[in-house]
Amino acid sequence: MALSGLAATSGIHGNAPALPTRALLWLIASFAVLLVPQWDRLPIWLVVTCVVLAGWRYMAQSGRVRLPGKWLKTGIMLVVITVYVGTVQGRFTVDTAASFFVLAVGLKWLETRSRRDFYVLFFILVYLATVNFLFHQQIYWAVLNLFAVGLLLVGLQVLNAPDLPDTMASGWRRLGMMLLKTLPIVILLFVFFPRMAPLWSVPMVSGQARTGISDTMRPGDISNLAQSSERAFRATFGEELPAYRDRYWRGLILDYLDGETWRQGREEPFRRPGRVAVDGGAGELERGQYDVLLEPTDQTWAFALENSVAVSDNVLSADDSLFRFRRPADSSVRYRMKLAAAEVTRTDTAEPDNVRRYLQLPSEGNPRARDLAEDLRATAASDREVVNALMSKFREQEYFYTLRPPAMPNDGVDTLLFDEKRGFCAHYAGAATFVFRAAGIPSRVVVGYQGGDPGADDEYLIVRQYDAHAWVEVWLQGQGWVRVDPTAAIAPDRIELGLRDAVADEGSFLENEWASPQRYGDIAVLQWASLQVDRINYQWQRWVVGYQGQSQMDLMSRLPGGMGLKELGYATAGIVGLALLIAGLVSAWQVRGSGSRDPMVRLISQWHRLCERSGIPVRQGETPVQLAQRIGAARPAASNTARSFARLVNKHYYGSESVAQSDSRNAMRRLLSTMRRQLQRDSGQANTARKTPARSEG
Amino acid sequence: MFQALRVRWQRWVNRRIPRTDKQVFSQRNIFILPTGAGVVFGVLLLIMLITGINYQNSLIYLLTFLLGAIMVAAMHQTHRNLAGLELTLVKTGEGFAGDSLPFHFRAVSGKHDAVAISLCSDGHTLDQQHVPARQAADMTIALACHQRGYFRPDRIRVETRFPFGLLKAWSWVRPVSCAIVYPRPVPAPEAPSTVTDGDDQSSARSVEGNDHADMRPWREGDPSQRVLWKRYARSGQMVIADWEGEQGSPHWLDFHAFPGVDMDLRLSYLTAQVLERGRSGAPFGLNLPGQMIEPDTGPAHVARCLKSLAVLGIEKPRDDSSAPFGTRQTGTTQEFAVGESG
Repeated sequence: MALSGLAATSGIHGNAPALPTRALLWLIASFAVLLVPQWDRLPIWLVVTCVVLAGWRYMAQSGRVRLPGKWLKTGIMLVVITVYVGTVQGRFTVDTAASFFVLAVGLKWLETRSRRDFYVLFFILVYLATVNFLFHQQIYWAVLNLFAVGLLLVGLQVLNAPDLPDTMASGWRRLGMMLLKTLPIVILLFVFFPRMAPLWSVPMVSGQARTGISDTMRPGDISNLAQSSERAFRATFGEELPAYRDRYWRGLILDYLDGETWRQGREEPFRRPGRVAVDGGAGELERGQYDVLLEPTDQTWAFALENSVAVSDNVLSADDSLFRFRRPADSSVRYRMKLAAAEVTRTDTAEPDNVRRYLQLPSEGNPRARDLAEDLRATAASDREVVNALMSKFREQEYFYTLRPPAMPNDGVDTLLFDEKRGFCAHYAGAATFVFRAAGIPSRVVVGYQGGDPGADDEYLIVRQYDAHAWVEVWLQGQGWVRVDPTAAIAPDRIELGLRDAVADEGSFLENEWASPQRYGDIAVLQWASLQVDRINYQWQRWVVGYQGQSQMDLMSRLPGGMGLKELGYATAGIVGLALLIAGLVSAWQVRGSGSRDPMVRLISQWHRLCERSGIPVRQGETPVQLAQRIGAARPAASNTARSFARLVNKHYYGSESVAQSDSRNAMRRLLSTMRRQLQRDSGQANTARKTPARSEG
Repeated sequence: MFQALRVRWQRWVNRRIPRTDKQVFSQRNIFILPTGAGVVFGVLLLIMLITGINYQNSLIYLLTFLLGAIMVAAMHQTHRNLAGLELTLVKTGEGFAGDSLPFHFRAVSGKHDAVAISLCSDGHTLDQQHVPARQAADMTIALACHQRGYFRPDRIRVETRFPFGLLKAWSWVRPVSCAIVYPRPVPAPEAPSTVTDGDDQSSARSVEGNDHADMRPWREGDPSQRVLWKRYARSGQMVIADWEGEQGSPHWLDFHAFPGVDMDLRLSYLTAQVLERGRSGAPFGLNLPGQMIEPDTGPAHVARCLKSLAVLGIEKPRDDSSAPFGTRQTGTTQEFAVGESG
C-alpha cells in the first residue's frame, strides 16, 4: 500500500534520521493534541498504539533505539491492521473510518525519515484537524484544533530553518503576525463565500450511541438519562419565555406496549433522505415564534412545544402533531417554530381513524391494574372522570417520585401502583397509559423534554438531558388529545421547578456527574460562570458554526445590493483578488520605500529619487557633493540648493555631534522641497525650449 | 519546442538580471512559485473545501480560508526574505581544474531578516544561512570546474523556502568576475629533455638537438627562413623551428618540449613542473606560444605562470555576453586545441 511505496522512495535507511529533532517534536505534539478530540470514539488500544509508535519515532531520533527494518515494519503493520479489522468486525461507520485514519497516521511515524515524509504527515494531520471539526464544533474544541494546526505550522518553520535562534517564540510571533494581517480577508471570505448545497448527500451517523431519548421506553430508561447534564437543545423566544409548567417539548409518541416496553406502533414513514439546512429560519423572531438549536441526535426528531407549527422549511410536519427532519441530525441544527392559537390546532378533534390502536394492551399481565381500571370505569360517568380519578389517586396516596426506583421485574405496573409506589416519570406514564387503556380510553405515551433553564440574561432556554420526560395523552370526546401528566400529580415540583428541586430531599440529582456545574446549583458564582460560558458557546453555534446558506442569505438581504449566490461568488473572487493586490502593493511599497527607519537615509533616498525623476541618474558610489555638482551642471537653477543639501549630508555624517540633528533635518527637508520646485520649473522650461532625450523617461 | 521555450526563458531571465558582482534583490528580479509540497497543499485545501461544502461545516470553511490566507501571507513572507538582500561577490577563488573553487559572497540584508537563504549552482549548494536585518554575513559556495581557463558561473541561484517550504522564492546572481582555473597538474612522463645539468647557457646547447626540431614562437632577431610559413598560413602564428635544442635548459619550461602531446595535457605537464619548481625554489622561465615569462622565483612568479598556463589561448569572457556563458567558452578552447595539435 501507499506506506510501503513511500518507504522505497524515502531512500534513507537504518538509523539516520535526517529531520531536525525539534521539528519532529512539534509534529508529535500536534498529533497528540489532535487525538484529544477523538478520545471518546477511539478504542483505547489504538490510542496506546499511536503513542507507542510516535514515542518510538522520537526515541529513534535521539539514537536510543533503531527504527524498524523492512520486515519488522511490515510485521507491525500487519499485526495492527489485523487487530483493527478484528475490532471493527465489518461494522463500517464514520467512527471506524476516523479511527482507521488515526491508525494510518500512527503507522506513518515509523516511516518518517525524510522531509518528504514530514510533509506527508503534515498534510495528513491538517486533514485530521478537518475531520475533528466534523465531530466537534464547540468553541473549545475549535480552539484546540486550531492550536494543533498552529503547532504544525510552527513545526514547518523549524523544519525549514532548524538553526534559527529562538525558533519557538519567533515562530509563533511570525505565525501570529501572518494571522493578524490576513484576518480581515479570512472574515470577509467566511462571510461572503457562497454556501453551496452539498455536492452529494452524506449522512454521517455515528455508530456510537448518543445520550438522548430513544424510540423505546422501558420503565427504568429515562432515569438513566436524568443522570446526564448534557445539553439537548437551546430555544430562543420572540417574546418572554413560557411558564415552566408549559414547557412540554414533544418529541415522539409511543403507542404500542410490547410486554414491558413501549414502542412506536407504526414505523416512521419513509422519507427520501434529503438535505437538511442546518440553519432554518432567518431574520428576527416574530411574536410567538421560537428558534430551537438542537444538538446532534442522529435521529430525525424535531422537538417542539405543544400547538406549534413549523416555520422554517427544514422541518416537516408529521402525524400526531410531531415534527421530523428529512434525515438524521448529525450536526447541530437550528429550526424555527411558531406557537399557534390553541383552537387552530384542534384539527384532530374528530375521533382518530383507528381508535383500536390506542387501546392495544398485552393479552395478559398486571391483573390488579386491570381491576383498578374496571373499578374506575364503573364509578365514573365519563372518560374525563376516569382520568381525574386516577390523578387524584396519584395525588392523594403515598406515591413517590424517585431517581432510585426499586426493580420491578414481574407485572411492573401492578408492583408500582400497589406495592412499591416509587418510580420515575417513565414508570408512572407507562402505568397510567396502561390503566387508561384498560378502562377503554384511547391513550398514548409522549416522550420529550419538560422544562429548561434560562441562560444568561434570560436570552434563551437551555434544555438538558435530565429534563427528559414522559407523559400521557388521552383522547377525550370533543376535546381531542389532552395531555395528562401523572408526574405533575405526584411531584408538582418536577413540573413547576425542575428535576433538581423534585429530588432535592433524595440528594440524587446528578449524583454521578460530579464535574457538572449544574450539580452545584446553589453556588451562584459557578452558575453565573457556567451560563456565561454557555452564552459564548451559543453565540458561537448560532453565528459561526450555524452560519450556512439561510443565515448568509439573511445577512446578505440586509446589506445593500441584494446579493444572491452568484453575486457572492463574484464577491469572493473579488476579495481574493483584492487580497493578492494588497499583498503585492504592500511588498512593492516596502521595497520602494527603501525601507529605512533612519530619517537621514530616507531623506537621501528621496533626494536620489527626485534626481532620477528629473533625468539625472544617480551613479553608484557617487558622493553627495559630486551629485550636487552634476545637478548644478544640468540644472543651474537648482545648483545652490543641491550644494547646500550635499553639505548638510556631509555635515551629518562627518561633522561634529553638537549640531542639533532635528534642526539640520528640517533644513534639509526645506531644501529638498525647494529643489523639487526648482527642478520642476527648470525641467518645464527645458522641455519647452528643447526636447531633451534625457527627459523622455520622466 | 520545449527546448526552444527554455532557451527563450533563459534569455529573458538574462536580460532581466544583468551580469554584475553586486546584486540587490527586489520584486524586479525575484521569482516565486509554490514548491511540490505547496501544490499538494493547494490540492489539500480544495479537498477540505469540498468536505466543508458537503458536510455544511462552517468550521472547515474557516480552517480552509485560514490556511489559504496563511499561504498568501507566506508568499509575502517568502518574498520578503529575499527582497532587499544585497549579494556582493567579494572574491573568486583560484584553483586547478577538477577542484572546487570557492566563490566568496557578502550578503547584507535589508530591513527584514533574510532567513534560510541558500545558494546553488549546477548541483552545488550552500546550505541555508540567516542574515538578520541590517547585518552582513559571508557566504561561500564552492563550485566545481572541469576546464582550465576563465570560470564564470552563468548563474548562481539564491533561494529561500522559509517559512513553510510551501513556496520558494528565488533569483540569480550573474557575476562579472571570473575565477581562474589552472590546468590540472599532471606529472610529466619523463624529465623533459634535460640534456645537461650545467647552468652555463653555452654548454646547454646540444648537437643532438638537431634530431628533433622544436618549435618556439618567433622572437626578434630570428632569421625569417626558419619561420614555419605553412603553419603561419594555418594558424597565423609565427613559429620558429629551433634546431639548436635551446629548450633543454632547465631554466626554461617549454611548451614545445612535449612533441605530439595534446595541448591541454602539455599545459598539465607544465603546471606540474611549475608547481614542482615553485616548491623547490629553483628559478625558471616559461616559454609558451606567443608568450615568454623570464626566469624568476617566488610565489608571485609561480602564480603568474600558472595564470598564463590557465588562460593560454582563451579569451576573457566579455561582460555583456548575452549568450549562455558556458557554450561560448568551450567553443573557443576546442577550436584552439584542434588548430594547435594538428
